[in-house]
Amino acid sequence: MNLWMQEWRLFSRQRLAMMALALLALLTSAALAAGIVEVSRQRAAIAAIPAAQAEDIAAVAAYVDRTKDAGSAAYYSFHPTWDAPAPLAFAALGMRDVAPYILRVRALGLEAQIYDGDIFNPELALPGRFDFAFVLVFLAPLFVIALFYDLVSGEREAGRLRTLDALPNGGRALWRRRSALRLALLWAALGIPFGIAALIEGVAGSTIAIVLALIPAYLLFWVALAVFVGRLRWNSVTNAATLAATWLVLVLIAPTLANVAINTAIPVDQGAEIALAQREAVNRAWDIPREDTMRRFYAGHPEWADSAPLGPDFHYKWYFAFHQNGDDSVHDRVRAYRSGLEARDAAGRALGWVLPSVGVQALLTRLAETDLTAQLGYQDRIRDFHRRLRAFYYGYLFQARPFERGDFGRLPRYQQYSFSDVRI
Amino acid sequence: MSVGDRTVRLIARDELRMMARNRVAVIAFAMLVLLTLVAVASSWAHRNGVAALRDRHAHVAERAFDAQPDRHPHRMVHYGTFIFRPPGPLAAFDPGVDAYTGNSMFLEGHRQNTANFGDVRQSSLLVRFGQLTPAFVLQVVAPLLLIFLGYGGLARETERGTLRLLMLQGASRRQVVRGKLLALGTVALIAGAPAMIGLLLIAGQPGALAQYMLAPMSLIALGYAIYLAAWAVLILLVSALVRRSRDALLALVAVWAVTLVLVPRVAPDLASAAVPLANRLQTDVAIARDLRTMGDSHDPDDPHFAAFQQSVLARYGVDRVEDLPVNYKGVVAMEGERMTASLFDRYATDSFAAQARQNGIVAAIGVLSPAIALRSLSMAAAGTDVAGHRRFLEQAEAYRYALVQRLNRMQAEGVRYADDTARDAGADRRKRVSGDHWRAMPDFRFVPPDGRTLATAALPGLVIVVGWLALALTLLALATRRLGARS
Repeated sequence: MNLWMQEWRLFSRQRLAMMALALLALLTSAALAAGIVEVSRQRAAIAAIPAAQAEDIAAVAAYVDRTKDAGSAAYYSFHPTWDAPAPLAFAALGMRDVAPYILRVRALGLEAQIYDGDIFNPELALPGRFDFAFVLVFLAPLFVIALFYDLVSGEREAGRLRTLDALPNGGRALWRRRSALRLALLWAALGIPFGIAALIEGVAGSTIAIVLALIPAYLLFWVALAVFVGRLRWNSVTNAATLAATWLVLVLIAPTLANVAINTAIPVDQGAEIALAQREAVNRAWDIPREDTMRRFYAGHPEWADSAPLGPDFHYKWYFAFHQNGDDSVHDRVRAYRSGLEARDAAGRALGWVLPSVGVQALLTRLAETDLTAQLGYQDRIRDFHRRLRAFYYGYLFQARPFERGDFGRLPRYQQYSFSDVRI
Repeated sequence: MSVGDRTVRLIARDELRMMARNRVAVIAFAMLVLLTLVAVASSWAHRNGVAALRDRHAHVAERAFDAQPDRHPHRMVHYGTFIFRPPGPLAAFDPGVDAYTGNSMFLEGHRQNTANFGDVRQSSLLVRFGQLTPAFVLQVVAPLLLIFLGYGGLARETERGTLRLLMLQGASRRQVVRGKLLALGTVALIAGAPAMIGLLLIAGQPGALAQYMLAPMSLIALGYAIYLAAWAVLILLVSALVRRSRDALLALVAVWAVTLVLVPRVAPDLASAAVPLANRLQTDVAIARDLRTMGDSHDPDDPHFAAFQQSVLARYGVDRVEDLPVNYKGVVAMEGERMTASLFDRYATDSFAAQARQNGIVAAIGVLSPAIALRSLSMAAAGTDVAGHRRFLEQAEAYRYALVQRLNRMQAEGVRYADDTARDAGADRRKRVSGDHWRAMPDFRFVPPDGRTLATAALPGLVIVVGWLALALTLLALATRRLGARS
């Protein structure tokens, strides 16, 4: 224990090193605070939905009440869905700044609605967010480099190396002690603020434990790299330059190269093609016999097939039938598009096994449910909700029931999903 | 040529020889050149691929629109049209926000849709690590290389006492510093050259080197040259101020990390916290609310539309809508579209104003980081900044409005009111107008900004970068006087 205390005393006398630690703790805290501010802004936006929605739907209800036409109710009503941030989202905001977390849908064709975005300033999104994941993945390695680059070479240059090696408990044991102490201090600078923030935000204990284990694992990679470079017996300056160049390659250059490679190797059917095809399928209905549309709709949705035949007048059930047909007609394209996105994402995450920077980012955004998987999960929940919406309105349209004002109170409600079943 | 200049050149040549002997530096330099070439090639291929794809989609959409059969004009209002934003020629050098903004838009009546399918939502998580473009290489990677090559330039001489030796041989402090600066500047020039050649190649593609692109391209070249020069001066400044070359390296890497990695990320957070942006749900609900107070075309008792009807009847001198020479339903559609479009414009203007305020905050913070200033200069000159995206959205909205109103006018003038309200078996046929009309509709053509507009937008960034260079030069001149004084 005394030896450890001795090392700590030596370390604490290095003003620059102590300042570096304090700076890291400060940056970590600032990033955590920024993340919490952003996440609470998103929660507030979600909390503001019901009031706005109530106002909007009341106006629709007042209008529909004149005709009690379920078709008008279905056509004019927007229904909100949302994707509340997971407890850990504050630490890794992932895609939440560029993908919508609130989306209103109508019972019309979903494929024309589900890819819509929210309003955001692209110039602010471009450099990436200042969150905990950024501090850990991008900045922490630089601090490792600053504390480790001259661990051995500095002593050699000061002429103390031989003496230190000859000391009892010197040599390897000494370097291990010094490295472990520095690693532990870096861990504390990152981990303690994170732990406090995570407790405030109510993150599950197991998740906190995973992140707290992830931090030293990632730091250890960089420590190992620094020790490896140190073994080459170059001078301190060369060590520092080599490590900084390695950082540049591993954190900035390799991921961008891999991004180009992945996007070239895995072409994704453009989402725009889905939108184009869906629109053609929908609008064609105006030019073909209405019975064809209904036949096709009933074939896919036999539960409504006993509905009364169409009269000569416009009927909304025909209108919604061809919207449904439009969605059904692009089903295969939608699946292909999605599996293309998933393939790209999987390739990116697979790279994480080689590039620790990517691996840590992938793991953090997975835990925080802010990655593509989470985005697609939100889209699945929108699809589920939309299915319920359609079934609800079809019940009125195809069974010729009037849509009363009170029926607006029976609208399907979007269910917030619970975060208990996250899988990595 | 004076003797002094020869001394400067001798010192510069000596310094370059030192750098060439540093194997790590040479390898790093070769890698930078290689990286630039890869970046130019891939960015160019990406830009051309994207341009071809969007062009193809646009043609498919235009052909589909033209091929529509005889229809009621209002059906075409809802059929709408898809438009695609073509990337500008300089997007291959600096794609800016292109990946973050949607590039396709569905235009229809009564609604303003979002631009969708940006790359950022169609790529793996790697896209958020940055994009490999010539601009990225010059902004981020090149300064670090210059640091590796130049940190020891003066610190090494003071540390080893060789500075005194140089001065004993008759070189002045200024000459030493100018020599080192010449050497590092030469390296910076060579480091930036491949990207600039890439820029020229990019500009050489058909249509790009129209004369109007000359101004923004020169500004880009000038901006990056000044930026790298400012780094070279800054590196020597730190090298002059710090006594040990090791400290110079650490300090410079720290400055690099703060200005290029940290500040660009912190600034947007501060900006978005300071200026909130209304989200789409709140905007849509607000537009619907405003529309209800302005007038509801569905409501037969609505005061606005009652007055509107009276004014239309008065204009044509008739008493009943049935007697109008035009189809009143089309006239109402035009009035309704005018009202919604005015609201879309107002809310879009507000949102853009808020975004401009956010970007203004980031630009103000850019005074602290030349990288932010250079980035905005580069994007503005390439036409790939938020202003460029706004240009697309505004042209899209103008086109949407014109298209929808043409269709509404067609309904007013080409479909008789009696047919439009008829419900008999043949009514559907009589409501339709000839499909030839769709082919007569003009297609959407994005009008790219002229060089003057782009160059003007890039000027503020240039001023800041020049300011940085001037400041660094002044400080270096001051530091030169005290160079080696304490050693």
